[in-house]
Formats: sequence, structure tokens, C-alpha cells
Amino acid sequence: MSRAVAAGLAVVLLIFPWVGTGEYPLALLYSTFMYVALAVAWNVIGGFAGYLSFGHAAFFGLGGYTTGFFLVRAGLSPFLTAPLGAAVAAAFAALAGYPCLRLRGPYFAVVTMILGLAVRAVVLNLPWTGAAEGLWMTLPPWEPIVARRAFYYAMLAVALVTVLAGRAVRLGKIGVGLEAIREDEEAAQSIGVPVVRLKMSALILSAGLTGLAGGIYAYDRSYIHPDFMFDLHLSVLAVLMALLGGRQSWAGPILGAVVVRLVDEALTVRVGTEAARIIFGLGLALVIVLLPDGVLPYLERLRWRAPRPPAAVPAAQARP
Amino acid sequence: MAQVLQALVTGLLTGSVYALLGAGFSLIWGVAHVINIVHPALAVGAAYAVYLLAARGVDPLASLAVVVPLFFLLGVGFYEGVIRPAARRGGDLVLVSMVLTFGLAAALENVLAAVWGPGPRVVNVAYTGRAVQLGVLALPITHLAGAGLATVTIAALYLFLHKTFPGKAVRAVWQNPEGAALCAINLRQVTSLTYGLAIASAGVAGVALALIYSFSPASHLMWLVFVFLVVIVGGVGSLVGVVVAGMLVGALTNLSTLVIPFAWAPFFLFASLGVLLLLRPTGLFRR
Amino acid sequence: MARPPAACGRAGSTGAALTAMLRVSGVSKRFGGLTVLRSVSFQVAEGAIVGLIGPNGSGKTTLFNVITGFHPPDGGDVVFMGRRLVGLAPFEIARTGIARTFQVVRPFAGLTTADNVAAAVLYGRGARHVREARAEARHWLQYVRLEGAADAAVSALTLGEKKRLELARALATGPRLLLLDEVFAGLNPAESAGAVDLVRRVRDDLRITVLLVEHVLRIVMGLCEHVVVLGSGQVIAQGPPVAIQADPQVRHIYLGEGYGAAG
Repeated sequence: MSRAVAAGLAVVLLIFPWVGTGEYPLALLYSTFMYVALAVAWNVIGGFAGYLSFGHAAFFGLGGYTTGFFLVRAGLSPFLTAPLGAAVAAAFAALAGYPCLRLRGPYFAVVTMILGLAVRAVVLNLPWTGAAEGLWMTLPPWEPIVARRAFYYAMLAVALVTVLAGRAVRLGKIGVGLEAIREDEEAAQSIGVPVVRLKMSALILSAGLTGLAGGIYAYDRSYIHPDFMFDLHLSVLAVLMALLGGRQSWAGPILGAVVVRLVDEALTVRVGTEAARIIFGLGLALVIVLLPDGVLPYLERLRWRAPRPPAAVPAAQARP
Repeated sequence: MAQVLQALVTGLLTGSVYALLGAGFSLIWGVAHVINIVHPALAVGAAYAVYLLAARGVDPLASLAVVVPLFFLLGVGFYEGVIRPAARRGGDLVLVSMVLTFGLAAALENVLAAVWGPGPRVVNVAYTGRAVQLGVLALPITHLAGAGLATVTIAALYLFLHKTFPGKAVRAVWQNPEGAALCAINLRQVTSLTYGLAIASAGVAGVALALIYSFSPASHLMWLVFVFLVVIVGGVGSLVGVVVAGMLVGALTNLSTLVIPFAWAPFFLFASLGVLLLLRPTGLFRR
Repeated sequence: MARPPAACGRAGSTGAALTAMLRVSGVSKRFGGLTVLRSVSFQVAEGAIVGLIGPNGSGKTTLFNVITGFHPPDGGDVVFMGRRLVGLAPFEIARTGIARTFQVVRPFAGLTTADNVAAAVLYGRGARHVREARAEARHWLQYVRLEGAADAAVSALTLGEKKRLELARALATGPRLLLLDEVFAGLNPAESAGAVDLVRRVRDDLRITVLLVEHVLRIVMGLCEHVVVLGSGQVIAQGPPVAIQADPQVRHIYLGEGYGAAG
């Protein structure tokens, strides 16, 4: 059934921009796709491997700034700059990840948060990134609706690639290895799991996918500034979305991202950015206190509680 | 040479405020296992309280009489009303506490921005802009007052932790929660007390930073970075470690601006943290 | 497939014909100023069940950690089937064919019982596909009689079951040498007897060499062909159980006066 649902959803999403849809719904879905990509990408290292990164904004911003830099300075096509942004974010993850991944638990969380804030501080002070003035890019002379459609598809592609990658990791051999790492690194080593290589790969993949989303986003905004490209809010949002949906599954973060994005949007439209952030912050606190394991496991528990026929005794397997 | 000395001393003075913020943060981390992201935001909140009172002619130092008890109660209430229920629901407390306290920090930041606007504020007192001349050194009185406040508070914390019975209980839990539980220490009382004291110390740090710096609703993020640095370098569970780290970070930040362009100072700071982590990934945190 | 039980009897029948599979020579380990192992040397013959005994704090678990690469030694050498292990990462050592269990059980708590073992099949033996690994995991769960708990959460298992799960996980990596760290501790007499039987089967049916740390001397003396005695980080004595039981130094330092009566 899930395959049919996925196919149906894909068709709907593909034709959606052509059924007389205005710019607003396209923009809303575009940002939802971005959140989905961020949450699913974060979950590869944060959920599967259990390394709680609070610095993913660094990868997002690096992807965006790489795009901006090469667009402005080298005139490269955005189709090239976004993957380039992914590569830079991944390379940075490879470099910074090595010392960070030697830390565990709260230390990893705190150091990655420092990392996110540090990259912001550095970019804010470097002249060739536009520093505090930010960086302007020129968009092609598209009509607004054309631009919205183009970015809709671009971000849909990013989200799709990210979800497929996350799913493949989760359901494949690497997923089992990452789970073992999450539960007990020494025990994982003792059965032959290459712990360092595996968690580095997970971080690099996660960072690259996050950078890819950042690259597209930067080009769409056409003006980038450290304040929103390296926003700590974004790092925490990624954590929250994955957490809300459930960190153990590949699909949980998708659900979390959609919920968060829609609530965020509704709040911003209703009460304005500032009040929205106040309510959002408090809501964040409330949700995390009430549902520390996310919505998905909670829903599953509800389902299990529902009356069902007495459990069948597992059939004894014949011994060879 | 005079320039270096000036930078060093000013760095140490501001470092003492980092140390004070770091001490409270580290206490909460070690005792309650909470990464209290809202810590510097509360200090900035205290700075705004000072600003509010100063506008009515209350000296920042006198405002301590309001800030300290208020923040102590806030801390106890926050632990009993929010953190404890959250911890009892299970889940990964590190993760839960980070998201939770970030949410509160974001809310507080935006409340401050809604009331006072996003721009920076300065507290003006009679002695603002005046300095004590000490040989080649010119030490701003506000810096001295802020650092003095921080030093006195840290000393008081030290005496409390080492000389009083409840203080020793806090220290025991800070350094070894499991062992402390075996000694029949009432964990809830100790944690509640720790939270109160730590938040009160954040209030004092806020008063100190209001004396020394300009501040805006968003400046807690920068302070968060310094608090993190101080606690990572100094380790969780040691007041002395945190104080040394605070001084070190303060002095290094100031000195680095002498030898490298200002723009690269943060880069230098974080690169040295990276090297530190690479060389002593776990050793740093050993008590 | 199984060797006849007679061939794997106690002391004596093993020995000369078997070659050293694991050679530990002159291994030292210090933690800070504390010397935990000083120049420890012994060999494990292929196909043997070797017991490692010694009082608490004599360095048994540390020795396991040195062999498996978790604590690199400060001096000395560990050679397994002709290959130097010192300097290899623990996961690389695991892949050379050494599997271990832990003194305090360390199953992957968030995974199902079957996936605990499947992870070992995937990484210890390089299986590619999760589905195949899960199928094979069931075989190993059957081997340790945990087949009924394949889809259960680890938290639902008893201590004895967790220990068997850890054994299944170790076996699933396809080891030639199995290091068991106090697998019998905390088990009731029936479970313990079952575990002893299981260890024998592992050696006899699967031809896996076993090195085990154990506190219950009755088990060690009944199960092992060769015993190494550690005291304060040094090898005090080694030899067949009969010789160890007779060794006055061992009796004095480790066994105490009461052993003769209890044994």
C-alpha cells in the first residue's frame, strides 16, 4: 500500500504547479520540501547514529555561501553551484567532524553548536563573503510564477534525493551499523563495525545533503547573509523536526518537518514573525516536555493499545 | 608592551565574567544533566532589568538586591516546574533539555526585542567612561566593577561549595552523581538548590555585563559561544577549571586582536579549540 | 561434522599436536601510574578451551581488552594466526577472527534480538544484505536457543538470555577464537550447566578455540584443558587444571585453604 501511496503522492507533487496553482502554495510547498530535506538529512547522523548535532546550520550556510560565491565571483550556473555547495559542506564536515566525532553525548552536541556559531562568526568577518553586508546574486529574468515553479521542482528534487538516501541508509547495511554505534560503540567495534569510518560517512552524507538544500535556498533568496544562512534556529529546527516525527525511522522526520513547517507558517501569517517566534519557542519547550520521543512512536503506542485479537504464539521453528 | 599588558588585563577582567557565566552553566550541566542554553539569555535579561532600573536612577550594583533573589527563585521554579517533570518523562535529557532551553531562549530573546527593539542598549551610570590610571594601564571603572562583582560571586560560590554542608553535597553530585546517590544525598533538593544558585549567578553575570558591554536581545548567542568555550576547556565539575578557562578565553580573545586582524579573531579562537579537541579529546573533560 | 567427544577430552590429549593460535608475549599495560599488566606471556593452542583465572583486579579483563585492541599495550606483542594485532583497531581485530563477550552484558538495547545478531553477520563476516543477515541471525539464535525471542526487544530478556544473545552475536561474526568474559557469572545452576554445555559445543561442533575468564573454579577446572593464572598483572602459573590445583603458589595466593574442600 505504501508504494501506491508514494507513487500517487509523486504524481500529485509533479503536476501540482500546473493546475492553476498560485505563487503562495508553491512557495509554501517549496519551503516544506526544504524542511523535509533538512530533517531527513539531520536524522542520518542525529537519529540513526545518535550523534546529536546542533550545528547543521553550518552545513546549510556553507552550501548557500558556496553557491553565492561561485555565482557572483565565477559566474557558474546554479546547477553547478548547488552540488558544489554540497561538496564544500561535505568537505567541511569531513574536516571538522573528525575531532567532533571523538566526543560523545552532550559534549558532541555542545561542540557542534559552537561549530555552527563559529562558522557564522567567521563568515561575518571575512571580506570575500560579503561579511556583514551579505552577498547579492542576480536571478535570471524569470516571471515570478516561472521562478516559483523552477525552485519548486529544484527543492522537490533535493528533498526526494535526501529522502531516498536516508531511506537507503536506514534500511541497508549501513543503517544496522549506525544503530549499533548509537547503542554501544565498543560492542559495535567488537563485532567488526568500522565505527569511525561509518559515523564519518554518516556525517559527511548528512552535511552534503544539508548543503545542497542550502545552495538552492541561497539562489532562490538571491541575497544571503550570515544571520539567516547560519541561523542557530535552523540547527535546532532540524533537531526538533526529526525528534517530533521520531528519530528511529526514515519517514518520521518527514512527518515532523511537514508539521513544523505548517505550524510555523500559520503562526507567522497570524501573529507576525516576532510573536510567532515567542509562541514557537514556548511551543517547542512544551512539545519536547510532553513528547520526548516524538509523535510517531506515540501514535504507534496508541495503535498498540487499541483492542486486538489475542497475540498468536510464535510458531516453534523446527530445528535442523 | 604597554599595549599587550593593557589587552591582557582587560581580557582577564572580562574573562572573569565569562568564568562566572560558565560556572553556573557547568553546575547545571553537571548536577542536573541539563545543557542550559537559556543561561546567557537570562543574563541578558538581567542586563535589561538593570537597564530598566538604571533609567529610574537605581545603581546597577544596588539592582543586585532585586536581581539575585528574583533569579534564585526563578531557577528553583524552573527546575521544579519544567526540568524535573521533563526529566521524569524519560527520553534523552541532553536532547530534551537543549531543545527545551533553546526554545525558552528564543522566546525570551523575542520578548526582549518586542519590548525594547532589536538594537543595542547601554547602561549609563555616573562612572561610565571614567578610568583608573595604574602606571601604563588605564582600567575603566565599569570593567573593574563588573570584574569585581564576578570575582566576589565566584569566591562566594567557592566558599559555599567547599565550606558548607549543602555546598559539599552539590559538589559531590557535580563530580559523581552515582556515588553521591549512594551517600544518601537528597538529589532533588541538591539539584533544586543548584539550579537556584546557578540562575542567580547568571543574574549577577548579567549585571556585570551590563556594566561592561552594550547588549541587545540577540547578544546572548555570542555569550553562549563564550560559555561553551569556557566549559569545554575548563571541564564540567570543577570551579577552578572553569575560572582558569574563563581567564584564558578572555585573555586569548583580547590578545589575539593584537597580532591578527580583528576579522580573523573568531577563526583563531575556534581553530585553537579544534586543535585542543584533536589533541585531548577526552582529557579536557577529566575531573 | 562434530568431532567425537572423546577426542576433546581433558588435559593430555591436547597439546603437542596443536599449534599456538594466539601468542601473547611480554604484554605490559599501565593506566597512569598503575601497572595493570607486567610482561604477560602465554599461548592459546588451536582447538583448546583455555581458562584465565585470578583474583579481582589481577588484570584479566584488561588482558582481554589488550588482545581485542580496546586498550593498546604499552609493551609486548599479540600475534593471532601469524598476524600482529598490536596497532589494529578493535573492529579490524574482530575481523581477523576474534570475537568477545563483555563482563557486563552489552547487547544493543534499541535493536531487536535478531538485529543484534544480524549486525554481527553484516560486519563481522561482511555479509552485504540485511535480509540475508537476518535469516542467518535466526540460525545463531537457534544455536543458543533464543529462537523464540528473535523479534523481542532486548530489554525483555533475562540476564541468562542476554548472555546467550551476546554469545550468538559473537559467534555470528564467524570467529576462530572466542573470548568469554565471565559468561557464567550471575546464572542459576541450571543456566550455568547449559552454558557450559554450550561452550563445549562451540568448540567441538564449530571448532572455535575458546579463551575464557571465569570466577567459578569448578567450571574452569571441569571445562578447560589449560589454565593461566594471573596475579597482580603477572602470570603466576599455567598448565593443565590438575597441575594448577596442585601448585602450592596458586593455592596460597589465589585458591585459599578452603578450595580443596569445596572442589
